[in-house]
Amino acid sequence: MKKFSLLIVFMLSCITLNAQNTLPSVVLKTVDGKTINTSELSKEGPIVISLWATWCVPCKNELDAISDVYDEWVDETGIKLYAVSVDDSRTVKRVKPLINGKGWEYEVLLDTNHDLKRALGVSTVPVTLIVKDNKIVYRHSGYTPGAEDELYEEIEKHTK
Amino acid sequence: MKKIALCIFAISFSLFGFSQEENDSIQKENKSSFSKFKDNLSASFESNGQWYLNDKKTGKFEEQEHVRANSYLRLDYSFLKNFTVGIQAESYAPEPLLNYSKLYDKRVAIAQFYANYRSEKLDLTAGYFYEQFGSGLVLRLWEDRALGTNNALRGGKIKYSPTDYIEFTGLYGKQRKGFSVTDSDIFGANVEFDIAAAFKMDKINSLSIGGSYVGKKEEYIAIEPSESVIPELVNAFSGRFDLALNKFYTNMEYVHKSGDARLNNFNPSVTSFAEKKKFTGNAILWTAGYSQKGLGINYTFRRIENMSFFSERNATQSVKNPTNQLTVNYLPALTQQHDYTLTNIYTYQAQHRLFQQTNETPIIHAGEIGNQVDVFYKIKKGSLLGGKYGTKLSANLSYWASLQTKATDPDGIPFFPSDNLTYESEFLNFKNKLFTDFNFEVRKKWTPKLSSIFTYINMYYNKSIIESKYDNKTVKAWIGVAESTYKLGKGKSARLELQHLSTNDDANNWLGGTAEFFLSSKFGVYFNDSFNYEESKETENYKIHFFNAGGSYTSNIKNTNYRVALNYGRQRGGLLCVGGVCRPVSKNTGVTVNLAVSF
Repeated sequence: MKKFSLLIVFMLSCITLNAQNTLPSVVLKTVDGKTINTSELSKEGPIVISLWATWCVPCKNELDAISDVYDEWVDETGIKLYAVSVDDSRTVKRVKPLINGKGWEYEVLLDTNHDLKRALGVSTVPVTLIVKDNKIVYRHSGYTPGAEDELYEEIEKHTK
Repeated sequence: MKKIALCIFAISFSLFGFSQEENDSIQKENKSSFSKFKDNLSASFESNGQWYLNDKKTGKFEEQEHVRANSYLRLDYSFLKNFTVGIQAESYAPEPLLNYSKLYDKRVAIAQFYANYRSEKLDLTAGYFYEQFGSGLVLRLWEDRALGTNNALRGGKIKYSPTDYIEFTGLYGKQRKGFSVTDSDIFGANVEFDIAAAFKMDKINSLSIGGSYVGKKEEYIAIEPSESVIPELVNAFSGRFDLALNKFYTNMEYVHKSGDARLNNFNPSVTSFAEKKKFTGNAILWTAGYSQKGLGINYTFRRIENMSFFSERNATQSVKNPTNQLTVNYLPALTQQHDYTLTNIYTYQAQHRLFQQTNETPIIHAGEIGNQVDVFYKIKKGSLLGGKYGTKLSANLSYWASLQTKATDPDGIPFFPSDNLTYESEFLNFKNKLFTDFNFEVRKKWTPKLSSIFTYINMYYNKSIIESKYDNKTVKAWIGVAESTYKLGKGKSARLELQHLSTNDDANNWLGGTAEFFLSSKFGVYFNDSFNYEESKETENYKIHFFNAGGSYTSNIKNTNYRVALNYGRQRGGLLCVGGVCRPVSKNTGVTVNLAVSF
């Protein structure tokens, strides 16, 4: 156990980089089957990328919560949210009816074989990113009720 | 353990070295080139450790290694605009976690590496790569650490898109097997053609077709070479189309797999094959749907027959390959993926194998047929049922049956089928019911602070066949779940969830619940319990609290994202969703530490 905890300490200590990461360039599909490269997404201004899945309750909670205030966010900051579904072929067919059924107004992209998820080193969803000029400027994993307010504060910082 | 610590130390040292270098650099040029380097480097580290404890209720932990960890370090570096190189180091020290394949037998090693060149039209990869053709019925190479799946190929892949409406893919490789690769060869080709874009059909949302080929070549040493018909090469072909018009959409895929050997499984301790007959496989997948703002409907039909496709013939023997290693294609259960503890006691597995059940007269299991429907509906704000904030409804109904087959075996004797056994299957026969699930969910926001989710599930589970027990036992159950979340302001919130599973079959009733408290958006603690409180003939889980208590912390320091979760509990096994994320867990008692860092 001692060694194990040592290992954990090493792990934590090893990451002290002040990295400002480029968003990995990955080809994703829209729900209508068009391909789009992630490097093109933030060309017209900062964006939010949220990795989610139809089977993930916290993810749906997050996107539902943002959906309630999304109009205001767009008006105030001009931000655009890309909801990138990591559903694989088991559940991917649910994505389109679900987003419409829920009345979400996000741009929805499909990462069916997890190319973006892997490139970002995401082990669990949801993960939320703010991307500005193709650089990841904010990253948060998990969702807790009210976390959308914190996300909005971050968005304001990067859209001014 | 020492080795991994050393290795990690080396990594951390080198990273420290980099940051040090940055501080020391005086020349601006140096600094900018270094920051460029950092900019183009991305890394992620994940470690899942468990300390297995003896348990008075469920017994001693009988394996030797009590403390184990699966760790993954991934580094990607991009340079010269078009190039990316990367490695993935993995460690399973001193042993992989429970329920992970023993193929992962090394403590620390570089498991994968790749180099990629990408331009607008060309995408070349050498080394280990992932890929999916169509919906994955013929090929899906992917990684899922929680499931212990990594079936990447080691070889080369070319993607070429001469225009924006056509794409060709060609690939060749040997499949990853633990820290090594298989002896067999896999090759594949795929083409995607976007008709709507090619002919500028503006009125159509999407119209495209695709086709794939995947071949596997593997040596076979016959027991009776003169009579063996087992091929070295197995070919799978897929054809598909996709159409979306206004609010409607539909797509279809058909797969044919060429003749392959049938597992001769009357003695599961030996893996052998019936050599005189070979059997083809096929699959049909059809989806249709309608969606507009506030309403979505989706229908899926699938029939799969003899669609197991492994890179090694021997992996077909499920008893010897419980973690489903070496798969070439992907055949998920097309049912609702539930995410509460009690809703994952009876989960369906897709039936894709061809095998004979040991019986007086041969019974052939060849596949499954079934369908499911999803409906999503939003009741408008301000209406009677919608209330001030609107109400969201979703429902799902699925039905799956095993294929109706008839075996003929001219040379067999009771309980011992011969190599000449063949079978016929009916195309559309749904009568051998294996699993049904009807469920609906209501999401309701009462006030800006209080919201609830109610879930009802009614299911039928043919335990006898799904779990290969052949004792005619089935389970009819219904489950109710209610959860409410209350926001306390400043990122604080509390969540309470209650679950009940009612059945007069199997282990009878269960009660479960979760209490979760978030002190901020970064830090949360929870307690969760499942309890089989009603007596039955199934005593395995009776009156044992399967509880979990723990917390998670996530933080973002200078763009480096950390997530640490600590958990103590007794796991029954299933999908656990707490602390804002979901992952499958295995049965055990102990302390779990999950650490994920990415930057």
